Amino acid sequence: MLVAAGCTPQSVTEEGRAVYGLYNLFLYIAAVVFVVVSGLVIWSVIRYRRRDDELPKQTHGNNRLELTWTLIPTVIVLVLFVFTMQAQNKVLDQSGDADVNITATAFQWSWRFAYEGTGAEVVGSPESIPEMVVPVGQTIRVKLLSADVVHSFYVPQTLFKRQAIPGTENLFDLTFEKTGLFHGQCTQFCGLQHPDMVFRVRVVSQGEYQSWLAAETRRGAAGQPGT
Amino acid sequence: MATTELPLPALPEAHHEEPGGIVDYLTTVDHKKIGILYIFTAFAVFLAGGVLALVVRWELASPGLQAMGENTYNQVFTMHGTLMIFLFAAQVTTGLGNYLVPLQIGAADVAFPRANAMSYWLYLFGVLIVVSSFFVAGGPAAVAWTAYAPLSTREYFQGTGMDLWIIGLAVVGVAGILGAVNLVTTIFRMRMPGMTMFRMPLFTWGVLVNQLLILFAFPALTVVFALLFLERNFGAQFFDPTYGGSPILFQHIFWFFGHPEVYIIILPIFGIINEVIPVFSRKPLFGYRAMVFAFFGIAALSFGVWAHHMFATGLVYLPYFSIMSLLIAVPTGIKVFNWIGTMWRGSITLSTAMLMSLGFIVVFLIGGITGIFLASPPIDFAVNDTYYVVAHFHYIMVGGLLYGMFAGFYFWFPKFTGRLLSERLGRWHFATFFIGFNLTFFFQFLVGLDGMPRRIADYEIERWTSANVLSTVGAFLTGVSVLIFIWNFWVSIRRGKRAGDDPWEGNSLEWVTSSPPPSHNFHHLPEVHSERPAFDYRHRGDPELAPVKTDPERDPDRG
Repeated sequence: MLVAAGCTPQSVTEEGRAVYGLYNLFLYIAAVVFVVVSGLVIWSVIRYRRRDDELPKQTHGNNRLELTWTLIPTVIVLVLFVFTMQAQNKVLDQSGDADVNITATAFQWSWRFAYEGTGAEVVGSPESIPEMVVPVGQTIRVKLLSADVVHSFYVPQTLFKRQAIPGTENLFDLTFEKTGLFHGQCTQFCGLQHPDMVFRVRVVSQGEYQSWLAAETRRGAAGQPGT
Repeated sequence: MATTELPLPALPEAHHEEPGGIVDYLTTVDHKKIGILYIFTAFAVFLAGGVLALVVRWELASPGLQAMGENTYNQVFTMHGTLMIFLFAAQVTTGLGNYLVPLQIGAADVAFPRANAMSYWLYLFGVLIVVSSFFVAGGPAAVAWTAYAPLSTREYFQGTGMDLWIIGLAVVGVAGILGAVNLVTTIFRMRMPGMTMFRMPLFTWGVLVNQLLILFAFPALTVVFALLFLERNFGAQFFDPTYGGSPILFQHIFWFFGHPEVYIIILPIFGIINEVIPVFSRKPLFGYRAMVFAFFGIAALSFGVWAHHMFATGLVYLPYFSIMSLLIAVPTGIKVFNWIGTMWRGSITLSTAMLMSLGFIVVFLIGGITGIFLASPPIDFAVNDTYYVVAHFHYIMVGGLLYGMFAGFYFWFPKFTGRLLSERLGRWHFATFFIGFNLTFFFQFLVGLDGMPRRIADYEIERWTSANVLSTVGAFLTGVSVLIFIWNFWVSIRRGKRAGDDPWEGNSLEWVTSSPPPSHNFHHLPEVHSERPAFDYRHRGDPELAPVKTDPERDPDRG
C-alpha cells in the first residue's frame, strides 16, 4: 500500500490538491492499521501454534478490551469524516465567480465543449479526440450535460469526476495550476465504443487562450465547429 | 446428566432412507440434497464466470483489441459480473446454509421442505434463462451488470438477450425471497429444546441476518427489473427525463438492493470464519455476543449507505452517506479483533480451512480499508469507476467470498461426504490462490489510481500495460488454483481419508451426527447448555470444561 502512495497522481488543479492531501492522510492511517492488524494475526499464528494436546484456557471474551476496539475505530472514522468534509468543501466550492464558463455535453461516443457567450465550440468523435482548451490559473466552471445515456467526465490529474446524466445539469469548478496537455476519458460505461470516448484538456497561458478563443469564435461564426 | 438423550424432532412421513441417484436428486425435498444442488449449480456458474474473467484478462494484457471486438468484450464482462454477483455469490452460501442450518440447530429439516425445493428449481431455471441469452440473435446483454438506464432501455440496447437477462434475474430474485422466508422461519421456529438464540452457532447467525437482508433487499431488485422490463417492452417512461422520468431513479433503486447485496454475500462468510477459527484455535469464539451485535450493526447500516455508489452523480447528500459508510468499519473492525482475540493464547493448527480463514482476514482487511477510502466523497470522486474500485470490490468479493467459501468447503467436506479433502493439495491450492489473487488485484489499485477506467476493452496509455500484464498472469494462476481444488475434490471424494463423525473436534451440533448425516439428520441429540454443544458433549463428565447446567424449568423431571 505504501507503493500506492507514489502512484497517486499529483493534482494539477487547486481543487484536486485538497483531495491529494486527504488521500495521503487516509493512506498513512490505513498503513498503520494494516500493519498493526496483520502483524497481530501473524504473531498469533506463530506464537500460539499447537504444540501439545493440552486445551488452552477457554476464555469467552473481555468486555473492556472489546469496548476499546469498538471505540478506537469509531474515533478514527470520525476524525476521517471531519477531514473529509473539509476537503469536500474545497472541492465543491462554487462561491466565487467563474472566469470561463464551458458547457460540456457528453454523447455516444465523444464530447462537445461550448464556450458560453463566445460561440466557440469544439466537437469530437470516436475517431477525432476533442480538446478542451482552458487558461491556467482561472476558475473554469463546467456545466455538464448528457445527450443520451449516463456518461462520466474524468480527467485523472484533476482527481475529480462527475457523471453526465440526461435531464440534469451538473456544475463544478476546475482551477488549473499548471499548463500542459492532460488525458481525459468517460468512466461510466456507455455502450459499444465507451473506451473511445477520450478527450484532452489543454491548459495554456492567458494570452494563448485569448487568441485560441478568438480563432475558434471566428470559425464558429463561419459555421465550422472545430475538433 | 449431559449424556441424556432428548427425544428426536418429529419426522414428516416422507422421510425414509432413500437411495441416491439422479431421480432422487430431481425429486428430493431433503435440505441437505437441496443444499448440495445449490452448491454444485453455483460452483458451475462460478467456473463459467471465471472463464469469462480470464477472457477479460486475456484481452487487457496489452493495449489494442486482440482477441475480440468491443461488443464481444462488453458482453463478456457484463456476463462475468452477472454470473458472479447475481447467480453465484449469494447462492453458494444459501446452499451451505441450506445444508448446515438445520443440522446446527438440531432440526430434522427446514420449515418448508417443498418450498425449499421450489426455490432451488426456480434458481436453476433463472440461471438457464440468463444463460440462454448466449444463444439468441444479438447475444447476451452488454450493458454492465449494473444495467444503468437509459443505456439498458430499448432505445440504446435492442435484442432479446437483454430481456432474457431481466427475466432470468427476476426469477432468481423470487427464488431468493422464497428461500429466505424458509430459512428465517426455520431458524426462528425449528430450534431444538435448549438451543436458545444466543446459543446458536455463529454460522447460523450469519445465515439468519443474511436471509433477513435478502428479504428486504431483493424486492427492490425485483422492482427495478419490473420497471426496466416495462420500459423496454411497453413504453413506460420511468427513466426518460423528456417524459418526467429520471435515470437517477434507476441508480437509487438498484443500489438500494446493490449495497445490501455485498453484505448478503459476506455475512455467511463471516459466519464460516466464526466457525473455523475457534475450532482450529481450540478456544471458544472471543466475544460471541459482540459478534452477533456486529452482524446486526452491519445489516442495519447496509441499508443506509447505498448512495455511496452514486457520489459522482452530484445528486446525493454526501455527508450522510459518507458517515454511514465510514461507520461500517466499526462493526467490521470488532469482528476482525474478535478473531484475533480467539486465536490469542490458543492452540492453532494450520489446516487448509484455517489457512483460508487467515487468508480471508488479510485480504478482507485490504478490501475493507480501501472501502474506507471510497466512503470519503472527495477520494471517491478521484477513483470511482476506475480499476481502484475494481480492485477494492474484488478484494471483498473474490478475497472475502472465495477464501471463506473454500474455508467452508475444506471444513465441512468431511461432513458432507465422510471423507477428508487432501491437506497436501489443499496447501497447494491455498498457496497458488493467495499469490495469484494478490497478483491479479493488487496492481489494479495502482493502475486505478493512475486513472485507468473500468469496463474498457482497450487503453491507449502505454504505462498501464505492466500492471495489466501482472494482473493477467495472476488471474491465470488463480485459475490454476481452482483446477487444483477441483482435482482435490475429484481425488478425495473417491479415495480421501475416512473422516469419521468429528475430524476437527467441532463445536456445533453437525459434528455430533454421522458423516454424512442420515436423512433425518440425527440418531441422537445431546442436550444444549452453551453455544458449543458438541464441545460440551465431547467433554461430558469433566466439570471444569462442561459443567452441567440443567434448566429446571425446561426439564422439570430432571433434578
